Amino acid sequence: MSVEITERKQSAEGEARCPGAPTTQEIIAADRVAAPGWVRSESYQYLGDEDISTDRYIEPQYARMEMERLWTRTWQFACREEHIPEVGDYYVYDIGPYSLIVTRVAKNEIRAYYNACLHRGTKLRASGTLGNASEFKCSFHGWSWNVDGSNRTVVCPWDFPHVDRKKFSLPQARVELLGGFVFINMDPDAPTLSEYLGPAAKAHIDAWKLEDRYVYLHVSKRLPANWKLAVEAFLEAYHVIQTHPQVAVSNGDANSQYDIYGEHVNRFISTLGVLSPHLYGKHTEQDILEQFTLGDSGSVTGTKRTLDDGRTAREVMAGMFRGMFEKATNTDLSKVSDSELLDCFSYTVFPSLFLFPGISLPMVYRFRPDPKDHRACIYEVLFLRPVPVDGKRPEPAEPVHLRDEQSFKEAEGMDPGFGAILDQDTDNLFLQQEGIEASAKRGLTLGNYQEIRVRHFERSVEKYVAMPPKRPDWERSRKR
Amino acid sequence: MGAFEEALTGNLPDHCPDHRAVEGSFARVLPAAELPPGAKKAVEIAGKEVLLCHTIDRLFAVSNICSHAQEKLECGRMSKGWIACPVHGARFELATGRAMNPPAKQPIATYPLRVVDGWIEVQVQA
Ligand code: FES
Ligand code: FES
Ligand SMILES: [Fe+2]
Repeated sequence: MSVEITERKQSAEGEARCPGAPTTQEIIAADRVAAPGWVRSESYQYLGDEDISTDRYIEPQYARMEMERLWTRTWQFACREEHIPEVGDYYVYDIGPYSLIVTRVAKNEIRAYYNACLHRGTKLRASGTLGNASEFKCSFHGWSWNVDGSNRTVVCPWDFPHVDRKKFSLPQARVELLGGFVFINMDPDAPTLSEYLGPAAKAHIDAWKLEDRYVYLHVSKRLPANWKLAVEAFLEAYHVIQTHPQVAVSNGDANSQYDIYGEHVNRFISTLGVLSPHLYGKHTEQDILEQFTLGDSGSVTGTKRTLDDGRTAREVMAGMFRGMFEKATNTDLSKVSDSELLDCFSYTVFPSLFLFPGISLPMVYRFRPDPKDHRACIYEVLFLRPVPVDGKRPEPAEPVHLRDEQSFKEAEGMDPGFGAILDQDTDNLFLQQEGIEASAKRGLTLGNYQEIRVRHFERSVEKYVAMPPKRPDWERSRKR
Repeated sequence: MGAFEEALTGNLPDHCPDHRAVEGSFARVLPAAELPPGAKKAVEIAGKEVLLCHTIDRLFAVSNICSHAQEKLECGRMSKGWIACPVHGARFELATGRAMNPPAKQPIATYPLRVVDGWIEVQVQA
């Protein structure tokens, strides 16, 4: 008897949804240009309701465990393919103490070399840099390696009879390409990127064709919080009504949709051009139309926002956007659905990558821990635009590095409305970091539905941190 | 100098009063047509090794010698705003010569450049 009762209780948990509001799927089903399958599916799962323990955000020891267990085992976005278009082009990707020289070694082959000289260890290239090399020459004694990783020079070889140059190739991490992104993984035993993402999420990413976009804006800023708190600030729309009141007028926040896919991917769909359920009865369709915030308004000019004869704000916005984005980016969007044009699609690939495949909000985020301070992290936001129909791919944007006290609005090329949203998101973070440290309560309490992505993310963190340490292995990483 | 050339080099237009005064010290080095966007060319002017760079939208003249270990920059990767030394990877801002990343710390020299009658002209002395 008691077993039955427990089961019934569990099947009901996580099933509640915002009362009195249409679901995300109902909103999208009413659109004129229908959305593709990846939009029109749901994949929520209840994962329990226990608190999330907070030692993970405040203990330096936890950050050390993440570095040698989690970051050495997971697939990470290192750079875009367009950052290294020619043979010999390289981009240095750094994560904690680790550093990889991501190099195009042939037209269709990219490798990631551990960025350290095999003589006395000097980095072959400074962190955070890019360029082109015909050889990687160490700046200390001049040993060098060919672009294919084989040893080229040992200075005074008579003094190194014990060095077998054939064995002194640069060790490599694994590399996989997807959607124009170069992913790396330091673990020789990790699953392939496809297995890691799982078939459903992989199919979504394939459908977006992000390889046909280019980086037109790249901004980075150090944030004063543990990297996981920064990630979690972007995993739900639950905060919109309080943190971004200006957005709520045209955002279906409380009726956003949340989905999880396997262990490494989750998403939300947050509809735009509709009123927040928190504000029902307080605004007209005309208000919605006027207060819409665009992530990429720089590509849109001459916006005239009027609502005629009973059409909805969402419908009018979709039509306007299609025309404006086509013109501004010189691309054909006639078959792109209203939802893809308008809505906010936020996907994460564990641990550090956010992909936003929409058109009005076309961002990529990356979060990395500050290797010297577990209470800080490096946040990057990249905006991707479609490569123009004439096929000429512009150079990727140079990163703009903001200082701690600067606003995102100050980054040249950033839409001011969007910059204000990012300021709102990130200005809460130090208060949360400090509050967690100050709290008598040692756990975070999460909503069953709207915060499922936070729980899903932290479950994966826990899974990796529970594993034994795994440091890069010189023997195994040479045999690629 | 036409409006197009002005835009290309960011140099002083004809109507600028200083223009004639400095003209004498510019050396004529290369027909502009021989340096399309994306191209670089190493030249010697008055005993100085100079690298002419045509990025996607602008011409620059900088020292061809890296400030880190005196290697040549001419085979380095050039982007819109910088050139990377091919040897150890230091990058320099083309407009100012500033070293953007290690192992270089010192800047490289930059030289005024203009296009006159279809010729690239560079001023190597101050
Ligand atoms: S440390 Fe690299 S050559 Fe000596
Ligand atoms: S010689 Fe240019 S970076 Fe060393
Ligand atoms: Fe937000």
